Amino acid sequence: MNFADLWKRSRTGVFAVAMALVVGILLLLVAGANPFEALGVIIDGSLGSTARFGDTLMVWAPLVLAAAGLLITFAAGLWNIGVEGQIVFGAIAASLVAREVSGPTWLIVTLALLAGFAGGGFWAFLAGLLRTYGKVNEIFGGLGLFFVAQALAVYLVLGPWKRPGVASTSGTEPFPRESWLPTLGSTRLSWVAVLVAVIAVLVVFYLLRGTRFGLRLKAVGKNMRSAFLLGIPTGRYMLAAFALGGGLAGLAGAVQATGFHHKLVPSISGGYGFLAILVAMLAGYAARWIAPIAFVFAMLAVGSTLLPLKLGLDSSVGGVLQGVLVLFTILAQGWQARRQNRSDGVAAGPPEPPIVPGEVG
Amino acid sequence: MSTTKVSRVLLVFVAFALIAAACGDSEPVDAEGFKFGMILVGPQNDHGWSQAHYEAGQYVAELTGAEMIVQDKVNPSDLPEKTVDQVAADLIALGAELVFATSDDMKDGILLAAEQNPDVPMIWSSGDSAWEDGKAFAGLDNLGNVMGKMEFGKMIAGCAAGLTTQTGSIGYVGPLTNDETQRLVNSAYLGAKYCWETYREETTPLDFAVTWIGFWFNIPGFTLDPTQVSNEFLDSGADVLISGIDTTEALVEAGKRASEGEAVWSVPYDFEGACAEAPDICLGTPYFNWGPAYLEIVNSVVNGDFKAEWQWNGPDWDNLTDNTKTALGWVSGDGLSADASADLDDFIAGLGSGDINLFTGPLNYQDGSVYLADGEEATDFQIWYTEQLLEGITGESASGG
Amino acid sequence: MGFELREIHKHFGAVRANDGVNLSVASGELHGLLGENGAGKSTLMKVLSGFHQKTSGEILVEGEPVELRTPADAMQHGIGMLHQDPLVFLPFTVLDNFIIGSPGPERVNRREAARELATLAERFGFNFDPDTPTRRLTVGERQQLEILRLLWLGARVLILDEPTTGISAPQRIKLFATLRELAADGMSVVFVSHKLEEVEELCERVTIIRAGAVVGERDLPCPAAELVELMFGGEVEVGERPIVGLGPPRLVVSGLGVQDRLASVEDFDLEVAEGEVIGLAGLEGSGQRIVLDALSGLRRAQTGTIQAGGRDLTKTGYRGYLAAGVQFLPAGRLEEGLVAGLTLTEHFVLAARSDSFRIDWDSAREEAGRDIVDHFIKGTPESTAESLSGGNQQRLLLAMLQDNLSVLLMEHPTRGLDIESAAWVWEQLLLRREDGTAIVFASADLDELLEYSDRILVFFNGSVLAEVNARTSSVDELGHLIGGKVSR
Ligand SMILES: Nc1ncnc2c1ncn2[C@@H]1O[C@H](COP(=O)(O)OP(=O)(O)OP(=O)(O)O)[C@@H](O)[C@H]1O
Ligand SMILES: [Mg+2]
Repeated sequence: MNFADLWKRSRTGVFAVAMALVVGILLLLVAGANPFEALGVIIDGSLGSTARFGDTLMVWAPLVLAAAGLLITFAAGLWNIGVEGQIVFGAIAASLVAREVSGPTWLIVTLALLAGFAGGGFWAFLAGLLRTYGKVNEIFGGLGLFFVAQALAVYLVLGPWKRPGVASTSGTEPFPRESWLPTLGSTRLSWVAVLVAVIAVLVVFYLLRGTRFGLRLKAVGKNMRSAFLLGIPTGRYMLAAFALGGGLAGLAGAVQATGFHHKLVPSISGGYGFLAILVAMLAGYAARWIAPIAFVFAMLAVGSTLLPLKLGLDSSVGGVLQGVLVLFTILAQGWQARRQNRSDGVAAGPPEPPIVPGEVG
Repeated sequence: MSTTKVSRVLLVFVAFALIAAACGDSEPVDAEGFKFGMILVGPQNDHGWSQAHYEAGQYVAELTGAEMIVQDKVNPSDLPEKTVDQVAADLIALGAELVFATSDDMKDGILLAAEQNPDVPMIWSSGDSAWEDGKAFAGLDNLGNVMGKMEFGKMIAGCAAGLTTQTGSIGYVGPLTNDETQRLVNSAYLGAKYCWETYREETTPLDFAVTWIGFWFNIPGFTLDPTQVSNEFLDSGADVLISGIDTTEALVEAGKRASEGEAVWSVPYDFEGACAEAPDICLGTPYFNWGPAYLEIVNSVVNGDFKAEWQWNGPDWDNLTDNTKTALGWVSGDGLSADASADLDDFIAGLGSGDINLFTGPLNYQDGSVYLADGEEATDFQIWYTEQLLEGITGESASGG
Repeated sequence: MGFELREIHKHFGAVRANDGVNLSVASGELHGLLGENGAGKSTLMKVLSGFHQKTSGEILVEGEPVELRTPADAMQHGIGMLHQDPLVFLPFTVLDNFIIGSPGPERVNRREAARELATLAERFGFNFDPDTPTRRLTVGERQQLEILRLLWLGARVLILDEPTTGISAPQRIKLFATLRELAADGMSVVFVSHKLEEVEELCERVTIIRAGAVVGERDLPCPAAELVELMFGGEVEVGERPIVGLGPPRLVVSGLGVQDRLASVEDFDLEVAEGEVIGLAGLEGSGQRIVLDALSGLRRAQTGTIQAGGRDLTKTGYRGYLAAGVQFLPAGRLEEGLVAGLTLTEHFVLAARSDSFRIDWDSAREEAGRDIVDHFIKGTPESTAESLSGGNQQRLLLAMLQDNLSVLLMEHPTRGLDIESAAWVWEQLLLRREDGTAIVFASADLDELLEYSDRILVFFNGSVLAEVNARTSSVDELGHLIGGKVSR
C-alpha cells in the first residue's frame, strides 16, 4: 500500500482525532484547566510508571476481548448490544469456578476462563435464539438479557453468595488467592489477561480474514437473503456468531472477576461492553485496529482518574473526553460515507442496525 | 497494692486521659506540607455520609494546614477502571502520608493497600480490622479504624419517633444488611419502644418495621426505590419514617404527605442539615462528626506516634452539637412537639448518665434465640456484631431470613 | 428543455466508466441510449442526475453550465431519473411516496398533494388509490407513480434506465404513450435500453456508446444491423438452437397449492422431462413467482407434492432442494443472489460449496480470474458486486450456478443483458440440457419465452390459463393470453 492510499484510508480517523482534540482542549479550557497539563496528567497517569502501565493494560484487556467478540457479531450484521450482559454472565460463571473449585492456580484459572467463555457464549446464544426463532430483534433481546444477568448478579451478591453477616450490593467475599489471575511480580498486571486478549484478537483476525466461516458470516451480515439463497444456513451462522462473540465477552467478564476485582460485584462489566461497541465502530470493524484504539480508551479511562487529584477537575472529565472522541469519529464516518456515496455510489461504513427483525427462511 | 489504691490510680489516670482527650490531643499541630488522602464512596457533596467525611477532612486541613487529596465516587459503578488499592496507590504516589478509606465497602481494597504499603498509615472508617478482640482482626500495624457510636443517635431518633407516633406504627428505610445496620435498626427500635412505653405509658405493642433497599443509596436497577418504599410504609399506616440510608427520600415523601394534610413525620440521617428538606415534620437528625477523630489521627501521624487502633467513639453528652468534640450529634427538628422535646431531653440525659442502658436483657433475636439474658448488659462485642434484628421488629435479618 | 454533456469523464479508480462522452438532447426529443453491458450508460445517466460526481467535463442545461452535486441539485435544474427498480419506500402509502422528497422546508399540504396526484394520474390514464401501501403495487405501477412524482417536482428532463425489463407488455405500451405525450409538451426524454425494437419504436434519435465513449449517433429509423454493428463492433450471430431429445420426467409437481399476500395458486400440476425447458408467462404477480418459490423450497407448499429426480422433496427446506440439485435464480440481483460489499473472488468462494475451513486466497483469486474470463464478466477479482454494471451482475450470478443441476429455476434470466450476452447465456444454459437438467423460467420478454421454451404456461390470476407449444405459438397469441383473453 503506498502512502497516498494509507492517507486516504486513515484520514477519517486522523480527522476525527484532531477534531476531538480541539474540542477536548476547548472543553478543558472552559473547565478552567490547562489542556496540555491535563494531557500530561492523562499520559503520565496511564503510562507514567510500570504500575500505571499495568493498570492501563488491565482495562485494555477486557475492552479488547469484548470488542473482538463484537467484531464477530458485527460481521454477521448483528447489533449485539447485549454484550454487557454477556460480560456479566461470563463473570458469574467464572466466579462460580473461582469460589467452588480448589486446586492449583493453573487449573482454577483455566477452568474459570473456560467457564467465562461458556457463560458469555451461552448468554449470547439465548439472544441469538430469540433473534432467529423468536423474531425478537437482538437489540431488545440483548438488552433484556443484560438486565436479567445484572439482576442475577445482584441476587447472587445479596443472596446465596453474600458475605457472612452482610447483604450488600458491594460484592462477594474476595476469591481465595489461588483463583486470582497470576500477575507479573508485585504489579497488578496479569499476563494471563493480556495474553488471552492478544490471542482473541489474532483468532478473530484470522477467522474473519482467512476462513470460510468468516466469509459466510460476512455474507450473512451484508445480505442475509442472498446468503441464504447461496445455501448458507443463516440461522445457524448467526447463532454461531452470537456464541463466539458472547464467549469472548464472557472472557472479558472472567478477567474482570478473577483478575481485577477478585470478587463478583454487580457492576462487574464496568461498562466495558458499551465502550467496546464504540471501540469496534472507531476501528471501522477491522480487527487490526482494535488493540491500539482500545489502548487509547484505556489510557483515557485510567489516566483521567488522576485529573481530579492533580488538577482538581471533576472526575467526569475523562468520560466527557471519551464521548467527544466517539462523537467526532461517528460524525467523520458519516461524513466519509456521504462523500463516498456521492463519488461512487457505494455506501461505506457500519452495518445499518436491523430495526425490523429480518426473515430467516 | 490494695484495690482502692488501684482504683485511685486508675481514676487519676482516667482523669488525665479525659483531659488529654478533651484539650491535649485535639490541639492542632502545625502540619504545613503534610498531605493526607481521602477516598470517598459517593460524591463529596452528597449531603450525607461522604460529605461528612469530606468536611471532616476540610476541618482538619483548616486547623493544621495539612493538605487533603480527595478521590470521590470510588465504587465499581462510577469508577470501574480502578479498585480501592489502586486509588490508594495513586494517592500515595501524589505524596499522601496517610490515607482514609471511608466506607464499609472498601474493606478488601484497603486491606490490600495496607499490606502493599506497610509504611503508610491508613484508616478504614467503620471497620473492625484493627480490633484485637474483634472477629476480623487483620493484624496490620498501619491500618486503624474509626467509628462513631451511632447506636446512641439511633436510640434518640427512635425515641423521638416513639414520642410522636399517633398510629403506633414506625417504618425504617434501611440500606443494606450487615452487622452495623442491624445494630442501628435495633437501637432505633429499643429507643422507640422505651419512650413509647415509658413516657407515653402505652401498653399496646409498638409496630416497628424495616425494609432494606440493598445499598446506601438508590441505584436504579440494583436497589429498591426508597421513594416507593417510603410511600408503601405511609400507605400501610406508619406515620413516622426513620431513614437509615444516605439520602433523604423518606423525609421528602413524608413532607409531601404532610402538605396534603396527613399527620406524618420523619427522622433523616447522616447530615447535620438534613432537616432542611421538610423542616416542619422533621423530628431531628442524628449525624456523624468525624472531625475530632480525624484531627487526632493526623496529629499522631505528624508526631510520629500513630498506632493502628480500633476507635469506637461516643458522643459528647454535654453538648450533642459541639462539633469540635462529639463523634456523633443530634439536632432536634421543628416537628418535635414541646412535650416530646422535654421527654427526649430527659431520655438523652438518662443515656448520658448511664441510667438508661437499653442493651440490657432480656432481649431475644428475631428467631427467638437469646441475645441478652435477663439483666445481662451487652458488651461492645455483642453490640458491634449484631447478628440479627431483635424480636418485635418486622423485617429481614442478614443471617435469619 | 434541452441539455448538453461535454467531454464527461467518470473514473472509478482505474476503471474509466465514462471516457469523454458528448451528448446533446433537444427539448421535446425522445432520445435513445444504446450500448452493450458495461458500456457506461447507467454511469452517464447517474452523472447527469446528480447521483455520481463527474471526474471532469461539463454539463449544460439550456446552454448554461451547471454543477450537479446531489440528486436534489439535479432536480432543481429539472432533471429527474427513474431507476430500474424505482426507489419507493415499500411500507408507506402511495401518497406518502408521492410527497417524499418534495423540495424545500415548507410543509406539504397533503390534501393539495393528493389532488395533484389525482389530476396527474387522470391525465395519463393511471389509476392510484392514494392510501394503499406501495408494496401492493406492481413494478410497472411503481414506475408510473415515480414518473408522476418527478413531474410534480418539475422534471423537464426525464431519464429512464432500462424501464421495460420488469414490466408487462400492456404496461410498456402505456408507458410509451405517456412518454410521447410528455415529449410533445417539450420534455426531453432519455431512454436507456438493450432492446433495439423498443428504441426503434419510441425514439427519434439514438446514441450508441461502447467502452465509455460515444461510437455513433443516428436518426431513427435506421437499419438494425447498423446499430448492432455499432454496439458490439461486429455482427452478432445468434446460434441455432440445438434440438435435444427429451428424457424421462425430472420434475413432477402435483396438486400444488401455495400463496402469498398478493397471489394464490391452487391445484398446479406440472411434469418436466429431462432436458425440457418450460417458460412461465403472465403479468407480474399472477402466480409465477410463488410457484418458482415453492419449486425451489423457498416457500412451503400448502398442498401437493414435489418430486425432483425421483426424490420427494415436499417436506424438505430450501437447502434440501439445493442438495438435490434444484437451484433457483431470482430476478433481484443485489437483493437475492449477490452480496453488495463482497468481491467477485469472495462470491466464487461462497458459491464453491467446499467445506474446507481455511481459504487459500491466492488460488481463489486465480480461479476467480479464470471464471471472470470464461463468463465475459467486465470486472476484476477485486471488484465488488455492486460496482459491476447491471448486465455483468447477471453474468456473475450465472457464473455462480452449480455445475450439475437437476432442475434449474430462473426468473427473468437475461434481464438487463444485451442481445449478444443474452444469446450467449442461453447457449450456456441450453448446454446443460445435455446432462438432463430440466429448466423452468419466468420471463416478461415474450420473444425470449417463444425462442427458448419447449412449452409455455400462461398464468392469469393465480392459475394456469393455458399451455401452449412454443414452436407453434406467436407473440400475438401470448400477448392475448397474458391479458386473460382466451382466443378461439
Ligand atoms: N461504483 C463503481 N465502482 C467501480 N466500477 C464501477 C462502479 N459503477 C460502475 N462501474 C464500472 O463502470 C462500467 C460501466 O458501468 P455501467 O453501469 O455504467 O454500465 P451499463 O452501460 O449501464 O451496463 P449494463 O447494460 O450492464 O447495465 C462497468 O465496467 C462497471 O463495472
Ligand atoms: Mg446499467
